[in-house]
Amino acid sequence: MAETAAIPIIHANDGAKSNGPDVSSGTLSAKPPGPRPPRQNLNQIYTLPAPIRTFPLPTFYPNNPLSLLYLAYAWLSQVLRPPPNEPSVVHTGYWDPETRSVHIRDEPSIRALWEQGFYGKGSLSRSEPNWLKRELARRGSPEGKTVSEARTELRREERRLAKWERAKAELEAIEKQRFAEAAAHVAAGAKKLDDLEDSVEVTKSVVAEVAEPAVAEAEALPTEPSTETVPELVAESPEVVSADSPSEPKSPVGPAELLALPNSLTPLHGVASQPLAPPQKEPTVLFRAPVGPAELLALPNSVEESFSRLDDARKVPEEHAPVYSAPVGPLELLLLPNSHMDLPTRPSGLGIFEPAAAPIQPTVQEVHLVDPLSETLPEINGPVNEPTKEDSLEALVEESLDKSSVVNGDNEVVKPPAALIPPVSEVPTVGTSTPESDSGVPQSKRRKSVRFSPTVESATFLHYESPISSGPNADVPKANGDVPTPETAPATGLLTTGSSTEIENKEHFQLSPEEAFFLTFSLGALRVVDPITDTPIPTEHLLSLFRAHSYFPPQPLASAHLRPDDPFLVHYAVYHHFRSLGWVPRHGVKFGVDWIIYARGPVFDHSEFGIVVMPSYGDKEWAGHHKQEDRDRSWSWLMGVNRVLSHVLKSLVLVYVDIPPPGVFDEVMRAGGIAAALKKYGIREVMVRRFSANRNR
Amino acid sequence: MALDDDDNPSLAPSPSPTPTPSTTPPAQAQATAEEQADLLEEDENAASQDFLAFAASLQYRKTAGVSAQTIRKGEKDFESHGTRAQADALEQSRGAMRDVLSYTRVHPGGGAAAARGWYFPAWWEGYQEREEEERGKEKEGEEKRPFGFVRERVVVLEGSSVASQALGRAVTGQAKDRPARGRDWLLPEEALYLVERGSLDLWWPVKELGEIFPPDGTVKEGKDKEVGEEGEGEEEVDEYEQGFPLSLQAAYALLIGNDGERGKISLQKFQVYSNLKRCGYNILRAPPPAKTSPEPIIPTPITTTLWQWFTSLLTKPTPSPPTHLPYGPLVQPGLYRSYASIYRQMALLPRHTPSTPLPPSPSEPTTQEAPFTIHFHVWKSAQKWTKLRHPPPDFHLAVVDAQDSSVPTLSQITPLLNAMPSDTGRPEWATGGAGRMYARLKHGRRNVLIAVVDHGVINYMRFAEGGFVGEELFGRFDGVRRGGGKGGGAGGGGGKGGGRNNGRGGRGGRGKGRGRGR
Repeated sequence: MAETAAIPIIHANDGAKSNGPDVSSGTLSAKPPGPRPPRQNLNQIYTLPAPIRTFPLPTFYPNNPLSLLYLAYAWLSQVLRPPPNEPSVVHTGYWDPETRSVHIRDEPSIRALWEQGFYGKGSLSRSEPNWLKRELARRGSPEGKTVSEARTELRREERRLAKWERAKAELEAIEKQRFAEAAAHVAAGAKKLDDLEDSVEVTKSVVAEVAEPAVAEAEALPTEPSTETVPELVAESPEVVSADSPSEPKSPVGPAELLALPNSLTPLHGVASQPLAPPQKEPTVLFRAPVGPAELLALPNSVEESFSRLDDARKVPEEHAPVYSAPVGPLELLLLPNSHMDLPTRPSGLGIFEPAAAPIQPTVQEVHLVDPLSETLPEINGPVNEPTKEDSLEALVEESLDKSSVVNGDNEVVKPPAALIPPVSEVPTVGTSTPESDSGVPQSKRRKSVRFSPTVESATFLHYESPISSGPNADVPKANGDVPTPETAPATGLLTTGSSTEIENKEHFQLSPEEAFFLTFSLGALRVVDPITDTPIPTEHLLSLFRAHSYFPPQPLASAHLRPDDPFLVHYAVYHHFRSLGWVPRHGVKFGVDWIIYARGPVFDHSEFGIVVMPSYGDKEWAGHHKQEDRDRSWSWLMGVNRVLSHVLKSLVLVYVDIPPPGVFDEVMRAGGIAAALKKYGIREVMVRRFSANRNR
Repeated sequence: MALDDDDNPSLAPSPSPTPTPSTTPPAQAQATAEEQADLLEEDENAASQDFLAFAASLQYRKTAGVSAQTIRKGEKDFESHGTRAQADALEQSRGAMRDVLSYTRVHPGGGAAAARGWYFPAWWEGYQEREEEERGKEKEGEEKRPFGFVRERVVVLEGSSVASQALGRAVTGQAKDRPARGRDWLLPEEALYLVERGSLDLWWPVKELGEIFPPDGTVKEGKDKEVGEEGEGEEEVDEYEQGFPLSLQAAYALLIGNDGERGKISLQKFQVYSNLKRCGYNILRAPPPAKTSPEPIIPTPITTTLWQWFTSLLTKPTPSPPTHLPYGPLVQPGLYRSYASIYRQMALLPRHTPSTPLPPSPSEPTTQEAPFTIHFHVWKSAQKWTKLRHPPPDFHLAVVDAQDSSVPTLSQITPLLNAMPSDTGRPEWATGGAGRMYARLKHGRRNVLIAVVDHGVINYMRFAEGGFVGEELFGRFDGVRRGGGKGGGAGGGGGKGGGRNNGRGGRGGRGKGRGRGR
């Protein structure tokens, strides 16, 4: 455990050494799937099913007399120069009472035990010990790309991309549908337009709800930056929005005007795509018409408030520049970019809008008009034909960004410098919740929404990201200081050219007690050593050690405390049963079961069965004894296990272990040892699956 | 019943002992049912209540209304996205639901459709069914009459209706002068099921059985129709002199009881019975368990070819019982020619196979424990089946209450499975070699169904005896090393390929394959 804790620090040092700008190659997950190295020949690596070699005689073919000679030669050579007795290699493991496992430290032994029967697990890996390979790959060496963890990562990435594509397609379909419906309304409502001359201006803001926002945004001619950001703050009431710009027609503030508002949306759709409509700031709002009396009564007050707030908002941009403190106030927070989406779209100084990110934005944004904060920035991308607005806003945002490259407070990890950010941006729904709730801005109506982000963000934890720098406290020094502090440095400097020879393998290999005992007791291919005395533990003692440690806290080693239904013995009986049939059992806690069994091994195939061990006290002698675990398993538990397993396409097997009563067990143990005692355990496998009455008729 | 997700009323091919009041045009109804069944096959979990489907099957007359094409399967919308199309679909679905719910169910009074049954709980109370003799008969000739549960039969059918084709039982061997001779007597679940679906009128008798069904010899089985007409004539005089009709509530009160009560059935069992019946299965009460255990399954003898015999002479004979050191290693150090010999030395725990069952420990119960007994025999619908002549059942079913019982222990499941006949699945699996290993293993050697009823929600679980012992994987290891010599089919590659094909066809990935929970 001490070793695992040390690893991020090592990375931090490596990162500090080279603060190179080329970060991109360091991230495994962000990489497109390139040409993969050729697959290794698994059959060659994993030839032996057990750590024992066999020497089969060559087959004699009656139709080929020469094969007889070959057979004779092989037999003679084995007789004259016999190969060493198998198992020829006895590996050495160290019992570790703290983790209740047996550690293997010798590199050849690790490989041998893994490759010959899939025993054990790397302490820093999923199963195969490949931390070193991954570490090398992370530092740029090509050889680590073949480890299973990396492949899993790639697969997840592809799946995430595919899901994103699917969600995008769905959204586009919805958009199309909306367009079609809006167009239908235009046709239907065109004749009603004449009656609605006076209410057109008001209704335009409502239109945006139904119509495609890009249309509305394209018409928008913003005049000043402050109003660009502010309307969305108060977007809930459209009359407030339009009140601050004198150029616009007067919006209905009074109660009477409000009552005159059209109640239905149908006439309004006609205006949606009117090209003749006067240019107007069109916030894409979720408009809720004030209909209740209480809302109407509250309106004059809120307008006053909003006016003052608007004034504040105008002042802030000028004041904001010299202030280098962390953004804590509501308006500062609002002015911050919500994500790094705005960064790449601004080629510095040129003021030319980059259209690369534009096509995605409107569609996505349409659905995610969730919080008012997130709406401010997509506006930047929206109107392509407005360079002036771009400039002003960019300047504004850049200011705030230069001062603090903190993007949006707590939830964001520290960002690398702006140039490194991939050009496809992200919808700003990521980290806006906390600042918004702090600020005094009235929260707009939130609509529950299924969100997705146009960039596929890797949700995996990249371990070179130092956990220190991701906290909110770490953001503040980053915001104030220009030079990255050492703690935050590793986020930027990832790639080292350090040679692989310097890397020390921090991983060890551990065998579970069942595996270690099987290797010792059944195959004789392992010698477990006491770490203190450094002497081999005899098998008999090892057994009681494992049995005692299968309780928590461990029982004393005296045999009075050990019973035939020790968890270790029960599990070992199951383990031995399947191992001796040729299966490869591995721990199945990840799937909610005790064991999962592979026909050949995790490298070759998926495991098809999950095994739950059911201790059973069938013998009548058990009646008077205390039983280890005699709880009844409920049906709902069984259904749950079955559901989980069938979700990962495995079948559930209940393995009942009939445990001999203590009298019988002790007697047999004295006479014939554990080999005889295990013969008293009965194993019954019961396959369980759900039966659907609808599909079996 | 509507709570069960397996329950889709539109999919049940109507078991219809009596034709439903509105006789459906057969072609169309069948077509839609098949179509739906196919849809259901595709999606294993799409068994939710679909009112559209139901409405479509109901309202065949006004096809202009809801059509089966509008059924939305698969992805659900979780929120409104503001399009009119979505709102329309929702409204249409709601309309279909309203139509279905407002459908007027008519129980056609008297006459043709609904038969009349009389509740005589005490009539067969003293009856002793001679099961021993029947069993003897059953052995010698195939002419067998299933066990009748005559003591449990409480409702006598008046006249013969279509219901009596699959339900009820006439008690044979009665004296000529007994009343109601040759009448069909119903078990409580059968009567309640018929009452519930509107095909039976349950009546409470005021008079004695002898008065309602006079014993005089004029009543013959062959003249049932005539009798029926005669009965109708009587009714016209005054049918309420004989008794009065019972409500559905009364029927439940009379026929539902605790386990072990004569003439009643527990609610859980009735729910299972009714559910399976509606799904189209044929279902009968299982006869009480036989005293003698079924004969052990004789395995097919392992044939040895001449060449195998010859090679076995050359190689060392395998030591018959390998002696084990008390604390290992089980595998003696030495020179090994094959992995089979190594793994054979490791065989330590007794291995259970049906042919060589474990020596029955004194503890092992031979009788089935209370909830884990076979209650029903179930047949698939697509067979020739009559209530008296039928093939051996397709499924054996036990009914347990989820609250009162837990997952069976070894002493509960063992006798249950031991009583089952051998069922090793399709014949091609047995010869399929390593490629069909997973199919064989998953199917098991013999199996039993347990219906777990939790407050009316029925969950059927299939328990099968595992056959891992029969599939010795280590036999392949030697084949792999030699690169597939003689027993090439048994190579690991074959097993792997078969495994791939078995489990996961076309589903995207394992583990996180389903992006959207349904």
